[in-house]
Amino acid sequence: MKKNHIGTVENIQEINKNVYSIEFSSPTLEKISAGEYVSILCDGLTLRRPFSVANFENNTTTVLFKKRGGGTEYISNLKIGDKIEFSAPLGNTFTIENKKTLLIGAGIGVAPLFYLEKKLNEIGAETFFAAGFLSESDIIEHDFDFVSTDDGSNGNKGSICDYLEQIIEEFKPEKIVSCAPHPVLKFVAQTAQKHKIPCEVAMEKVMACGIGVCRGCVISLKKDGKTQNATVCKDGPVFNGEEVVW
Amino acid sequence: MVDLSLKIKDFDLKNPIITASGTYGYNNEFDDFCEVNKLGAVVTKGITLEPRLGNEGERIFETYGGMINRIGLENVGIQAFLDEKLPVLQKCNINFILNIAGNTVEDYIKLAKIAQENDIKAIELNVSCPNVKCGCIEFGVNKQALYELVSIVRKNYDNCLIVKLSPNVTSAEDLATAVQSAGADAVSAINTVRGMGVKLDFINGGFKKTTVSGGLSGKAIKPVALSFIDRISKVIDIPIIAIGGICTLADVLEFFSVGAKAVQIGTANFTHPDIAEKLINDLEKFMLENNFSTLDDLQKKIQKS
Repeated sequence: MKKNHIGTVENIQEINKNVYSIEFSSPTLEKISAGEYVSILCDGLTLRRPFSVANFENNTTTVLFKKRGGGTEYISNLKIGDKIEFSAPLGNTFTIENKKTLLIGAGIGVAPLFYLEKKLNEIGAETFFAAGFLSESDIIEHDFDFVSTDDGSNGNKGSICDYLEQIIEEFKPEKIVSCAPHPVLKFVAQTAQKHKIPCEVAMEKVMACGIGVCRGCVISLKKDGKTQNATVCKDGPVFNGEEVVW
Repeated sequence: MVDLSLKIKDFDLKNPIITASGTYGYNNEFDDFCEVNKLGAVVTKGITLEPRLGNEGERIFETYGGMINRIGLENVGIQAFLDEKLPVLQKCNINFILNIAGNTVEDYIKLAKIAQENDIKAIELNVSCPNVKCGCIEFGVNKQALYELVSIVRKNYDNCLIVKLSPNVTSAEDLATAVQSAGADAVSAINTVRGMGVKLDFINGGFKKTTVSGGLSGKAIKPVALSFIDRISKVIDIPIIAIGGICTLADVLEFFSVGAKAVQIGTANFTHPDIAEKLINDLEKFMLENNFSTLDDLQKKIQKS
């Protein structure tokens, strides 16, 4: 199966200020696993833009994104029925296992965890979803188990990091999975390690090729006592939090 | 039927569409997008004697019409290439050109010898690396250093020797002439153009500046490449392989018009990962529809224009 697809926009809406949800279908993309991502061709731009997948069913992919630059501006202007060219599935996957799993998302980082939560619940795994946002207006609607906002306008006041110990204490997870800005990921991974809880993190980096060949998006991993490069686009975006050199 | 094939010295290519070093991996990585073994050739990622981890920090920066990279030649090294990558190239029947890079003349000699011993049919010299013994000046910007480097590689390698020229030079003609005199079989041009990306964020009343300095590639450099090839084609007779922002059949034909015999597709592989195969099909269709039976016929006709 080739990985370049032409899709059709089925739905697009601004769900919060500058935050969009887009759904597009393609007969040629039949499966995408939680953690894998899509990379969308944006008119006039050299590099495709990678996005995690918030849901996938019936050949239809849902992506949530924040309008930040030229690529997201282009996608935000697409209309229902427009064609969209993208590569998928790219990258590796979250591990789907029947373990009591704590999901930690911050901002738009909640998106891939939506799909993961669904897949975990399908196999009967218990999940606890904690999400942090800047303010009430940034909250992406979902049935979260715990919400914090930096300004305290909704839920608990402060960063999601401030509540991590408390959540671990109460939920007693066997596993933690996180997708969030780099400082939050680092904090979550280090806290998980302290508690000896396995942790998977979904990382983000500017990418060019999307398939590991250009080596533009490497991070350092510590494996078997040795430091080595790994590409976020192909070896990731999901990494064992303990192996990442933060 | 049209014949898209060409020959550079004894190196046979099914067609003139080649993928550029650093944009296509080592072997069949693009198989999910393209029939890689249909390509004229794949130029491998630049290979050094020892494995390299490449540069720290941000490595890519998108610019208007292109991108800047500063990967720093991350690669598996020649031994892992021979052990792990070469067998896949052979098994998948992919025609390839080995791109090699070194910091000293000795590095290049060793790599050329290894290529010869393994009967690799074509190599491309990346001469844009700093020559550590010569005050870290790139081989590719000094005609005497370049002449000596290519001459000695030539003595150690009998198959098709291609030298990839840097555009960051004062006289393209002098360097191309030096490469031809030293015995190269072809030149490829251009390598990336030196560039810099700046990102300024205004936060809390102050500026935060991020910069990425490296090689600019993509559509933005096409006019630089056209001019470079136009100039060198007037002073050398060996085949020229054009590189620089090629995305469409029109681009391919424009480069033929200034003297190129073949082209390499680089950054466009990131925008359209199936572009190389598409260009082969487009070229074939154009020749069929316009009654060109061989690539040579087409190129002669364009060059007369």
